[in-house]
Amino acid sequence: MDFLNQNLLTVLILLPVVGAVLLLGHQMFWKQEGQLKWLTLGFTLLNFVVSLALFSKSAVAGASGFFFEQNVPWITAINTNYHVGIDGISFWLVVLTTFIMPIAVLSTWHAVEKRATAFYIFLLLLESAMIGVFVSLDLLVFYLFFEASLVPMFFLIGIWGGANRIYAAVKFFIFTAMGSLLMLVAIIALYYIYADQTGLGGSFDLVAILNAMNAGNVVLAPQTGMLLFLAFAIAFAIKVPLFPFHTWLPDAHTEAPTAGSVILAAILLKMGTYGLMRFNFALFPDQSRETAWIFITLAIIGIIYGALVAMVQPDVKRLVAYSSVAHMGFVILGMFSFTGMGMQGALYQMLNHGISTGALFLLVGFIYERRHTREITEFGGLANIMPIYATIFVITTMSSIGLPFLNGFVGEFLIMVGMFQSHALDTVRLLGWNWNYVATMLAGTGVIFAAVYMLWMVQRVFFGKVTNEKNRTLLDLSWREIGLMVPLLALMVYMGVFPKPFLARSEASIKALQERVTHQAGGTIEQADAKTELENR
Amino acid sequence: MNTIFFAQLLPPGVNVPIILPELIVALTGVVIMVYDSFFPKKRAVTGAVALLGLAAAGVLLATMWGGAHPASAWGGMIAHDNLRISFSFVFLFVSAMTVLISTVWIEREDVPAGEYHALLMFATFGMMLMSAGNDLVVIFLGLETLSIATYVMAGLRKSDLKSNESSMKYFILGSFASAFLLYGMALIYGATGETGLTQIAEKLVSPNFPALLLVGAAMMIVGFGFKIAMAPFHVWTPDVYEGAPTPVTGFMAAGPKAAAFASFLRIFVLGLPLIAGVQSSVYLHQTWITAVTVMAILTIIIGNVAAIMQDNVKRMLAYSSIAHAGYALVGFVGAGMAKTTQARDEAIAAVAFYLLTYAVTNLGAFAIVTLLAQKNDRRAEFEDYNGIGFKSPVLAFSLSLFMLSLLGLPLTAGFMGKVLVFRPALEAGNTLLTVLVVVAVVNTAISAYYYLRLIVVMFFRERTTEWAEPKMPASMAAALLITVLGVLYFGIFSDRVIQQFSQQPSVAIAAVEK
Repeated sequence: MDFLNQNLLTVLILLPVVGAVLLLGHQMFWKQEGQLKWLTLGFTLLNFVVSLALFSKSAVAGASGFFFEQNVPWITAINTNYHVGIDGISFWLVVLTTFIMPIAVLSTWHAVEKRATAFYIFLLLLESAMIGVFVSLDLLVFYLFFEASLVPMFFLIGIWGGANRIYAAVKFFIFTAMGSLLMLVAIIALYYIYADQTGLGGSFDLVAILNAMNAGNVVLAPQTGMLLFLAFAIAFAIKVPLFPFHTWLPDAHTEAPTAGSVILAAILLKMGTYGLMRFNFALFPDQSRETAWIFITLAIIGIIYGALVAMVQPDVKRLVAYSSVAHMGFVILGMFSFTGMGMQGALYQMLNHGISTGALFLLVGFIYERRHTREITEFGGLANIMPIYATIFVITTMSSIGLPFLNGFVGEFLIMVGMFQSHALDTVRLLGWNWNYVATMLAGTGVIFAAVYMLWMVQRVFFGKVTNEKNRTLLDLSWREIGLMVPLLALMVYMGVFPKPFLARSEASIKALQERVTHQAGGTIEQADAKTELENR
Repeated sequence: MNTIFFAQLLPPGVNVPIILPELIVALTGVVIMVYDSFFPKKRAVTGAVALLGLAAAGVLLATMWGGAHPASAWGGMIAHDNLRISFSFVFLFVSAMTVLISTVWIEREDVPAGEYHALLMFATFGMMLMSAGNDLVVIFLGLETLSIATYVMAGLRKSDLKSNESSMKYFILGSFASAFLLYGMALIYGATGETGLTQIAEKLVSPNFPALLLVGAAMMIVGFGFKIAMAPFHVWTPDVYEGAPTPVTGFMAAGPKAAAFASFLRIFVLGLPLIAGVQSSVYLHQTWITAVTVMAILTIIIGNVAAIMQDNVKRMLAYSSIAHAGYALVGFVGAGMAKTTQARDEAIAAVAFYLLTYAVTNLGAFAIVTLLAQKNDRRAEFEDYNGIGFKSPVLAFSLSLFMLSLLGLPLTAGFMGKVLVFRPALEAGNTLLTVLVVVAVVNTAISAYYYLRLIVVMFFRERTTEWAEPKMPASMAAALLITVLGVLYFGIFSDRVIQQFSQQPSVAIAAVEK
């Protein structure tokens, strides 16, 4: 048990790799492709079970505030260490990853017939890379996992994707690689800034750099800081994707196989928002505050634009893809409100989006397997033929548009309250309005739009008369399909009714982060605000 | 003791042990040549002898890190430092891999194996001399030994017009470049009155003719620029690389280029250092740094943009090798700007390591291209790779790994190489160098397009024509195994190698006898 506690994160990263190697061996010696999905499912489930050990109450945070920390020298010549650990922010994302993976594997049960070995190996490698992203505390190691997650996804889209898969795969790869390579330059630059200012030699260690910054040993010149901030921010904004960088997403989502879309939506996009929180907020608090208005503006454009474009999509999967743009806009909005509520809401919404959009992609996958089309006009009146499917679809839709007592509501509510109380846009003095309120209001319209495009789609697909004769013979969901939806549905309800345990775990970390990002020379924004309120009285 | 006895017999300054690795390689070449004239066409034997010779030299070289040799010997003509040892390792590795890779081709085209192996040994000897030479004359000797051997190797496919063209072009343009280099060396000699690099560096404080230094350095940049395919002196590369037999192309892209880098580094970074306060030196330093930086930017952009447009895999790899020379130049300029000796050694090690990772990756890629090429390199278009991904998964996945490493993705050798060469350039904190790094990085993203294209072709398309998996001989399998493991090893566990490369060999107090 001690061994597990000390190496838990490493085990989580390596277990899928071991699985991948076993799969390869299995295929070489037994050539039984049919057994591979069982093996893969076994490994992802095992990884999920192991990840439950993260909940252990006996875990103690290290000096740097991270749990399950591990720090092993990797390449001493450039002082980079294999440094991993989790806190309240990464905790749920790791669990979300291990939770979604078995579901994604189950969804491919009959869908992947050709070249199954390679498919499952790539899935497992992807899982390692994703967990690695969320737990690494060394900038270079983080970058390594961040980039490494591209390759399996590239193959997943390119080999098992739809008709336009090559374009989508290459676009996905080049967009993301372009952003992250600039981040690499910024990472190396930080290394030297640290070396220059502390005289201790360079370091890629996030904790070390943050400590030095807190102690005032490393101070970024405003211009340098802004350049570095932008290099990080663009890399993550592409991944999120934030409004003008989002064009790769609909293509990648639409062409990817179902499991790929699920993982892309549920986990890969979260790397962007997670990165912004973990690195941009912590390393560059001043720049984060200065540019908040840009991010909020882009987020709101994303929310409204995503919704409007989603409304006119003829393809269900593309519609869900554009809804992702809108949802991720909400997450960005919550983060850049710099309020405890908003940031908690953003984190919560990251999980929600993973669960409900992941579920939507699964559902779209089910119907695609049956009809090999996703055009809305091909369907109609499905509720009469597939009642279980329709029920589950409607519940998921409700979760996605934020109906109270379902998870989406909690996240969006927290984000809006957070934004309403925010001071992020206080510096914008245009027209003398309180732009924080305006931003909240505009985001609110996004919720309405979301209801419009989702419900309209549901109405056209499920209700009314059966318009297409081909649909009459469709079978309702099988036990496997229901089985893999049940945990997701349960979570939607549970997270909607009892958000407390989820929020409690991230509270301390979010609070610390919020203090760091709002801390400025003249006291925090809150303090300044309290002061003016006192004077007004 | 024997060595003492010999030392008394030979003229002063002579130190045989210190050049023993070079001697072994040269002797292996001679042995192969003699053996071949008595027992022609024994390709297995000559190949094995070549490998043995290279291995012996490698082992010897490894011991030299702690071998307590003097820092220089032969009256200062041979240097013994980390630059020499680490680059020599790269050369030996390249040469050994080339022996393994060429077996398929030798058999297919019925090449005179003895001559080929002997030439390869002489070329390797030349390269090792180039990295060890601490004197303009020795470096030039090494360069010519290497070049002449390579000219012949490029034209070994005598009946093929393209191979002839390649050889001819390489010969004419190469001689031209050598002339430039030699002229530059002569001018430097004129400016300082010395050919030894140590002496030249000392003489920089008060050169006889400061202007000549500048002209000489410019001429040498042209000469080396040609050898490492630096834009705008890169134009010969694609034609020569495409026409030359594939294994030779792999060798040329990895070996001679690294050798030229070794001498380039030694002459410019160690021979023409910045001496603060001396105006002519400051000016010279600033000029060559700026010139090389600008040319590096050009090289990277031209290499990558042109590579996008290629339909032939060999040509694509040729342009990619131009781009990679550009990336290595980033580390080169970084070494030139290094503020401390330690930083300089690290930067030099970074360039050596970069070229090592490039060699591993590139030779692996060329091994597969050789294997698939068939007679006269007919099958080297992108189309010929259509849909082979799941038909020959071992080949296709290895080739994909090499492409990802050339692209510089984490966990592969290429990534570590890139991080290492970008570091010293960013450390300099100079705007122009930072721009260079940003250009390099943006171009890395551009290069994703053509490296991925090969993966796309192999895996994402279906094969319409018939596919017969080529037979893989043991030597080729060994080469593939070594390169694949090498790419992963250097990508994940590169610590030891980097440490070793940046470490100066332990040095005995040099008893300089003059």
